[in-house]
Amino acid sequence: MKSTNILYLAFALLMASCPMFLNAYWTDVFNNVGLYTILALSLNVILGHAGLFHMGHAAFYAIGAYTTAILNTTFGIPVLWSMPLAGIMAGIFAMIVARPIIHLRGDYLLIVTIGIVEIVRIALINNVFDITGGANGIFGISRPTVFGYKISKPDQFFYLIWGFAAVTIFLFLRLEHSRFGRALMYIKEDEVAAGGSGINVPHHKLVAFIIGAVWAGMCGTIYASKMTIIAPESFSFAESVVLFTIVILGGAGSIPGVILGAFLLIGLPEVFRGLAEYRMLVFGAAMVLMMIFRNQGLLPPGPKNYDIASLLPAGGRK
Amino acid sequence: MKRKLCTLGFLTLTLMALTLGSAWAETIRIGLMCPLTGSWASEGQDMKQIVELLAAETNKAGGVNGNQVEIVVEDDGGDPRQAALAATRLTTKEISAVIGTYGSSVTEASQNIYAESGILQVATGSTAIRLSEKGLPLFFRTCPRDDEQGMVAAKALGDLGFSKIAILHDNTSYAKGLADEAKSLLEAEGKTIAFYDALTPGERDYNAILTKLKSAAPDVIFFTGYYPEAGMLLRQKMEMGWKVPMLGGDATNNPDLVKIAGNQASEGYMFLSPPVPADLDTPEAKAFIDAYKAAYGNAPGSVWAVLAGDAYRVIVEAIAQTKATSGEKLAAYMQKEMKDFSGLTGKISFNEKGDRVGDLYRVYKVDAAGAFVLQP
Amino acid sequence: MEEFFQQLTNGLAVGGIYALIALGYTMVYGVMKLINFAHGDLFTIGAYLGLTLLVSMGLFDKIGPLPAVILLAIMVMILVAIIGAILERVAYRPLRQSPRLSAVVSALGASIFFQNAIMAIYSPKFLVYPHDILPKAAVNILGLDIPIMRIIMFSTSLVLMAALYFFIQKTKIGTAIRAAAIDQGAAKLMGINVDRVIMLVFCIGPALGGAAGLMVGLYYGQINFSMGWMFGLKAFTAAILGGIGNIPGAMVGGLLLGVIEALGAAYISIAWKDAIAFCVLILILIVRPTGLLGERVAEKV
Repeated sequence: MKSTNILYLAFALLMASCPMFLNAYWTDVFNNVGLYTILALSLNVILGHAGLFHMGHAAFYAIGAYTTAILNTTFGIPVLWSMPLAGIMAGIFAMIVARPIIHLRGDYLLIVTIGIVEIVRIALINNVFDITGGANGIFGISRPTVFGYKISKPDQFFYLIWGFAAVTIFLFLRLEHSRFGRALMYIKEDEVAAGGSGINVPHHKLVAFIIGAVWAGMCGTIYASKMTIIAPESFSFAESVVLFTIVILGGAGSIPGVILGAFLLIGLPEVFRGLAEYRMLVFGAAMVLMMIFRNQGLLPPGPKNYDIASLLPAGGRK
Repeated sequence: MKRKLCTLGFLTLTLMALTLGSAWAETIRIGLMCPLTGSWASEGQDMKQIVELLAAETNKAGGVNGNQVEIVVEDDGGDPRQAALAATRLTTKEISAVIGTYGSSVTEASQNIYAESGILQVATGSTAIRLSEKGLPLFFRTCPRDDEQGMVAAKALGDLGFSKIAILHDNTSYAKGLADEAKSLLEAEGKTIAFYDALTPGERDYNAILTKLKSAAPDVIFFTGYYPEAGMLLRQKMEMGWKVPMLGGDATNNPDLVKIAGNQASEGYMFLSPPVPADLDTPEAKAFIDAYKAAYGNAPGSVWAVLAGDAYRVIVEAIAQTKATSGEKLAAYMQKEMKDFSGLTGKISFNEKGDRVGDLYRVYKVDAAGAFVLQP
Repeated sequence: MEEFFQQLTNGLAVGGIYALIALGYTMVYGVMKLINFAHGDLFTIGAYLGLTLLVSMGLFDKIGPLPAVILLAIMVMILVAIIGAILERVAYRPLRQSPRLSAVVSALGASIFFQNAIMAIYSPKFLVYPHDILPKAAVNILGLDIPIMRIIMFSTSLVLMAALYFFIQKTKIGTAIRAAAIDQGAAKLMGINVDRVIMLVFCIGPALGGAAGLMVGLYYGQINFSMGWMFGLKAFTAAILGGIGNIPGAMVGGLLLGVIEALGAAYISIAWKDAIAFCVLILILIVRPTGLLGERVAEKV
């Protein structure tokens, strides 16, 4: 364990010093990787830990982004202040939407979530309630300001995004090792047994959904302020597929796996920009091959070791 | 020791020669941002073909100010997020100006990035009004704006004597923008809008929509979407036996329209468009068509891609006239001194906002043989 | 009132196409409990292959429209069936013992692969079927003008569906398929070669999808590499609506979805048409997940 900790530390230090030796383009690529990392981690709670087949994650992302956009352009609320609100809106939406479908069996849940993300996209395009700006989207979103310091260049965004990512990783690690996290993993392994052990399965599933949604919503805020314009086409089913793939290919349920997945799926295509037309072809084939040859993902979650001896009362085994 | 000094000396000389050599023959790099993949891949690939063809011609004729032109292409995938990445990447590639792109929200995602790096941007297929209302001095476009097309549409409909008009769009920002413009202008003139709704692009069966339109009994249908849907609408309208006239926006200008609808259904269909090169009698336009046909086998398909060609020619002209490649100098020239430059789509001049001025739009009608005939 | 009936016929015609595609989904799901995301793309492949064969072989000039269409349909169905079988062998068979999620991701990957392969081979532009192949006349039934081709399309769909139903219910192989759908293990014990059955399912389902693609190409004239996506999703909704795993259910679901869509477009709004279809999907899954005709219950084989 120790050596992997050193590895993680080295990685973290490397990431922190990145903007100093990367040009603007590559910094921006890493920004995108960072955004997708946060999103994938939030999906990981739903898909990796709780084992719910969720392909509509882009809907939560969209709601967070649009909430920030509307609050910022209509009411002038600074972007970073609107972040918790965006998260809450996404969370409320998740609560309303997930409640009736939480009991559905795997494949059916998958299809319903696809339907949800498409309905959200169509509603955004059709300018529902007349506030979403229709197909044009919303523009003129202001940049985030931290105590008067305006963040607009890629290297400034780098620290904002990866700072948030670091906080996310820390929080989700705590979640994974908490009682709630263990309950989710139990539900993923065997729902019936979990219910039999006294875990309120629907409640836990719903909370997992909401947590994932809140985080995706907050990520939407950062995206909106980075792009300064948002349009419905950025939040399509294809986005959900990308997130879903990152989690599955990286290793569902494993935080390092998901981070690796984000780097590979978002970073690699940038390396292969020259082969633009064949990118997606390779992507599709890669998905199939990965499932056949290593379907637990690149870095699957390892078995958890618990130090039993230290939990027993002093005096050794009873 | 002597050997080492010699090798070192030799290497240094080579290095100097190379750097000096490249300093002598500087290439002028012009960026092209276009959708090579994604839902608008056919537009982007047409744009690339046209611009590369024009660049090859320029180079064969000796280049610009003695320097060769190099086109640096980046794919924006028709998606704002990818466009932002493509734009950032282009700013690291030492380009003097950039052509692109197609799709207003995609262009918008890249505007600030180019502006902050001082790179001149000439958009080619982005008609949203607000793009040039932001006070960006280095932003220009060779395509018109939605409000201009809306005005021409309203005028054309009025001139043709229609008073009960059905407006159909496809919910994309371009089509809806045009539809909204036309609607407000028509209503201001007292015309009746019998119908206003959107269809879903990419579908095949529009009978449900046509049936609903029919029961609204309009004098004419004004469709602001793209040519695949226009073709399907024409064909299915004919199959229903409904003979109502139809007017389309400039995104329906594509030879494939007649292929899809069939000659019988497309006869009498009218649409608005900047004049296509085939209808211009300038020597540049003719030469361009011949060269394109020789290289690729058929006439260029999309007028938007031809507008990209115009963007290229405008940039090259500006560089040639100002003998400079900095964004501000080029922009100043284009705004103030470029007047009635002979483009592939007509005369080009820019106003202080960077928009193209001049009456761009014409009404076209499809005849029985499927040819697009420019109306007077 | 006339508009209502007109929209009804519109809906039925489109619904026939949905039904054909839905049959493929439902058969695969019934036997393998797998949502074959690549099915919509098999439909697209059918349309493209049809165009290639039509243009390269110049059939219509040689043997006349009606025999040419039938020959074309047979060729397309065979080719797409082969592709379907290859798909099964490469992307799904290795994952039989893996968790369901792996197969779903593999299906998605296959779908992305097919779409982009079509785009790379054929070009991203819209391709057009040659015109004037099919009669364009309209017949007047009960005061409504219905193009004759729609009636032919609808009847063809019905005939194919009836043939499939007959095949599944009355023949020995059909019984084997039904048995494998109920319980693969027990079917194996009964001596049924389940691998063969699955391969057969992956031939018939895609063949029907390919036929639907050919019909869409011939009738609507225009094809594009991404057309499978929307059609596939709607067809899947139709399969769920009727009861996934249930063949008559797929037929009913397809027709019903087509009608709901047409009436929704007519009376609510055209722009929300797809959202209405998705709402139907979600409602059915919440209220009655087994669909209208119910999931297949134990029956005597």
